Amino acid sequence: MSREVLSSVVMPIAGEDDVVLVRRRVRDLAQAQGFDAFATAAVTTAASELARNALVHGKGGRATVRELNEDGRAGLSIQFQDQGPGIADLERALAGGYSTARSLGLGLSGARRLVDEFDIDSAPGRGTMASITKWKRLY
Amino acid sequence: MNRETRTPLKLDDAELRSRRAYFEINDEDLERLASLRAFGQTHLDDIIESFYRFILEHHESRVFFADDTSVQRVKRLQKEYFLGLFSGVLDVRYVENRLRVGATHERIGMPLRIYLGAYALYLRLLLVKLGEEYEPSLAGMHFRSVQKLVYFDMSLAVDTYIASYVETLGRHQAAIRELSTPCIRVYDRVLLLPLVGTIDTQRAQQIMETVLVRVADEQARVVIVDIAGVPVVDTKVADHLLKTTAALRLIGAESILTGISPHVARTIVQLGVDISAMYTKSRLADGIELALSIVGKRITQVAP
Ligand SMILES: Nc1ncnc2c1ncn2[C@@H]1O[C@H](COP(=O)(O)OP(=O)(O)OP(=O)(O)O)[C@@H](O)[C@H]1O
Ligand SMILES: [Mg+2]
Repeated sequence: MSREVLSSVVMPIAGEDDVVLVRRRVRDLAQAQGFDAFATAAVTTAASELARNALVHGKGGRATVRELNEDGRAGLSIQFQDQGPGIADLERALAGGYSTARSLGLGLSGARRLVDEFDIDSAPGRGTMASITKWKRLY
Repeated sequence: MNRETRTPLKLDDAELRSRRAYFEINDEDLERLASLRAFGQTHLDDIIESFYRFILEHHESRVFFADDTSVQRVKRLQKEYFLGLFSGVLDVRYVENRLRVGATHERIGMPLRIYLGAYALYLRLLLVKLGEEYEPSLAGMHFRSVQKLVYFDMSLAVDTYIASYVETLGRHQAAIRELSTPCIRVYDRVLLLPLVGTIDTQRAQQIMETVLVRVADEQARVVIVDIAGVPVVDTKVADHLLKTTAALRLIGAESILTGISPHVARTIVQLGVDISAMYTKSRLADGIELALSIVGKRITQVAP
């Protein structure tokens, strides 16, 4: 299996506008790659959650949006990085229903369910790196 | 499958000719540059090494080259770029190549000033090498030709950045245009709130205020919130909808959510958001019917 990166774009996440721009780009790329409506909504929504987390909890950061190709199969991967406070209790944050921002606390757990690959690395003081990958469905 | 970096800019033949003329790059310059190819080859490694030593020494440029592999990769590209100066050809393909180099740097977020600083460094390094290799008057002539081409390249880089900024601006404007909210009275005590576009925190607040005031003014009993025009329903949007519903209930109005497409429905479920506090109907028409029934009205078929 060979995973090829077709394109890679770095986008800043410094305000709500940027969250919108990141997810627009993700949606546009998903559509351009021929993702179905479900997969497009899923990856766009997951990207929206993680971008907003990087903004709200991580005090801003950046997203790297990559178009992938693995043995002819199209995919999208987005990596979110911030230098914020990090997540102290990762397990709890991933379990869902836990929020330090009086919100629903469903962003992380929901995003994880919406994508094919989910990766997160965070520790107090080290910031947070989250990355998601969604593959185009083969019927 | 390989996709090339898109450059937001194109230069046709006529444009190229006039720009070449403006930078006074004549055939003599190109011949001179071609004759310097061996010189370029000889000093290639040395110059590229000095180049990256400088880049990695400075914090503002170092941050764009996170790891060793990416440095190795750009070094290779940089060598290509460098040798391109001595190709003796200045055609549309050359320009396209240069534009791509500019676009690549713009995309990784490198500020223009850092990029331009690197060109200046190139010229300094080349000036030193030329001075070591040739007697002063010849070195001067060589350097003039190199300088013309490097400045020409710089002009392309600047254009790439500007084109891309303009494009970004357009996208921002499109995002802004998505903001603003009408609230329509569809029937006595029934309001319709068609949401279109992106709902950020500010806008969600504005929506909630607008709708609460209207409901109080009109003594509305039902608000139909149609989200057919909302491209992404994430936890933030869902949270706003739920909070609006709760606030409306406090002033005695129900809310009905309509316009949920199948993929949005599924996304909401996968997110784990519970919207059972709201009435939901997939079609707006069904939402209106439900709203009317809440205010004690009904739509009926009239006999023809
Ligand atoms: N990038 C981040 N940096 C620091 N803390 C984070 C980050 N992302 C998530 N967290 C922590 O994990 C918790 C759960 O995140 P999650 O996205 O699931 O919920 P939320 O953002 O609080 O609410 P929402 O449901 O609106 O997304 C957050 O409340 C926050 O404490
Ligand atoms: Mg969140």
